[in-house]
Amino acid sequence: MTTHAPERRTIDISRTEGIPFSRLVKVEWRKMLDTRGGFWLLAITGVLLVFAVAIVLLVIGLDEDVRVSALDWSTILTIPLSLLLPVFAIQSVTSEWSQRTGLVTFSLEPHRIRVLLAKVSAVILLVLATIVVAIALGAVANVVGAQMGGYDARWNLEVSTLAATVFVQLVYFLMAFGIGMVLLSTPAAIAIFYVVALLLPFMVYGTLYALFDWAQDFIPWIDLQFATAPLLDPNDSVSATNIAQMAVACTIWVVVPLVLGSRRVLSSEPK
Amino acid sequence: MIEVSGLTRTYGGFTAVDDVSFTCEPGRVTGFLGPNGAGKTTTMRIMVGLTPPSSGRVTIGGHLYRDIPNPGRHVGVLLDAGAQHAGRSGREILTIGARTMGLPDSRVDEMLAMVSLSDEEASRRLRNYSLGMKQRLGIAHALLGDPEVLILDEPANGLDPAGIRWMRDLLKGYAHRGGTVLLSSHLLNEVELVADELILIGRGKIVAQGDKKSLGALDAQVSSLVTALDPAALVRGLEAEGFQVVPEGEGFRVNASTADVGRAALEHLIVLTDLRDGAAGLEDLFLELTADTQREVAPGVPAAPAAPEGAHR
Ligand SMILES: Nc1ncnc2c1ncn2[C@@H]1O[C@H](COP(=O)(O)OP(=O)(O)OP(=O)(O)O)[C@@H](O)[C@H]1O
Ligand SMILES: [Mg+2]
Repeated sequence: MTTHAPERRTIDISRTEGIPFSRLVKVEWRKMLDTRGGFWLLAITGVLLVFAVAIVLLVIGLDEDVRVSALDWSTILTIPLSLLLPVFAIQSVTSEWSQRTGLVTFSLEPHRIRVLLAKVSAVILLVLATIVVAIALGAVANVVGAQMGGYDARWNLEVSTLAATVFVQLVYFLMAFGIGMVLLSTPAAIAIFYVVALLLPFMVYGTLYALFDWAQDFIPWIDLQFATAPLLDPNDSVSATNIAQMAVACTIWVVVPLVLGSRRVLSSEPK
Repeated sequence: MIEVSGLTRTYGGFTAVDDVSFTCEPGRVTGFLGPNGAGKTTTMRIMVGLTPPSSGRVTIGGHLYRDIPNPGRHVGVLLDAGAQHAGRSGREILTIGARTMGLPDSRVDEMLAMVSLSDEEASRRLRNYSLGMKQRLGIAHALLGDPEVLILDEPANGLDPAGIRWMRDLLKGYAHRGGTVLLSSHLLNEVELVADELILIGRGKIVAQGDKKSLGALDAQVSSLVTALDPAALVRGLEAEGFQVVPEGEGFRVNASTADVGRAALEHLIVLTDLRDGAAGLEDLFLELTADTQREVAPGVPAAPAAPEGAHR
């Protein structure tokens, strides 16, 4: 009997399958939600949704003239979704660096582009899943609100508006993802994202827009909120200029960060 | 089998790994030894594609790492046991690894049992792990996919004596079954007991490699350490035989074997009180070979500059 197993100088890889993409997506989805931070982000978002419904119902109960349609509900309930959830998109990338898990992630799947695509897919699934929840909640609230207010429920949420809502939400999450990849730092990426997505539009652009003519011409080209506003309003018709503005703003805040960021992730050394 | 050929990695003008070539054979444990900053971690990172080499290449079992499908099933890697999400439990960390590799969750329990992490410990968050527990978890993670090749960067770091013994037996058994093991350390005596082959690296360059015997033979100089009742007579007697005698410690170092020294003492009727082999041993060899790469030039705290600023020469 020999004591040594036969020596294997080469490894037979012919019978090993690569990691299927769907498995990578499942793993990235799990990694997004399995930490305490992820739990609280979801929990607080849930509370905000319920809170928003409660406040609107309260107003309906108090004021007889108020009528809230399905479209209104969807507009109201997508706000809580855009507040905290983009942090998931940011952390999905940055935690690989800040928590240094990239060492394991990228040695288990050395083709980093696949990991990135799996992460983006998980983020997109999160956007879709949360919008489904919000719409379902909105539908219930629409019935309850009509009962309370003594009016007929209006089901006026068009498919095109819903699609636009999903699109705009995706735009913001992809921007968060891109900024995360460019900076590879959780606090820096969160700060930049909220300045660009919330602070500038409300505090700076809003004021400029109201005061100056040139700002009204200029801001929709560089701000996602102004650029995408016509898309979300079913009463607005979307002009060619609107489309061009959206394309420019998306290029600045989504395409450029995604391109620069993925190059950075593909070439940098996780330490 | 791991084959490293002509591997170089530069950072700006600094060469972290300098034309490194070596082979790790299956069925053997290869120790990768060098002082701090020698380039061990960098070499291992290049092996698994985390750092691109400036030139040269590494194949594992004949393949580039990135060409190995589901590499966790073939190559077990532990680079830094602390590089895991601090907020995840040990079990969750292993579960993520197992899911990525397509292994059943039962494998996680097997590995936890193997590294002796209890259920309660496995459910603690990593931030509350001790150094040794992190290390055990890291070893469990490297072994999850039942790989043929193991690449471990300072795996003994933080393990208690029983843990070190356990790991030694584990790696020996693993190699015995035909596996290839590469483990790094900056402590010779840690590696000496488990490694069949040693690769010594200093400042990015390989300074010596081979099995323990052939490396020991590198230290060809015979020498003895000797003390006598009458030191003056001893020196006279040994010098009369043509040996060089240098004072060292309580006695002298002589460039002769212990047998020659004993014979000389007998002829000159000298009473010896101690006679020992003074060969350098692997430890000294290691220090010597990497001497010009050491940070510590001489023991002691460097003296403060004598003159205040401005006293330029
Ligand atoms: N990204 C980097 N930029 C600049 N220098 C680097 C970089 N990565 C590594 N180095 C340098 O390369 C050298 C080798 O580092 P390495 O981590 O490989 O050493 P090591 O042998 O693992 O040391 P230790 O025993 O302390 O772990 C060090 O001088 C280190 O500072
Ligand atoms: Mg190191």
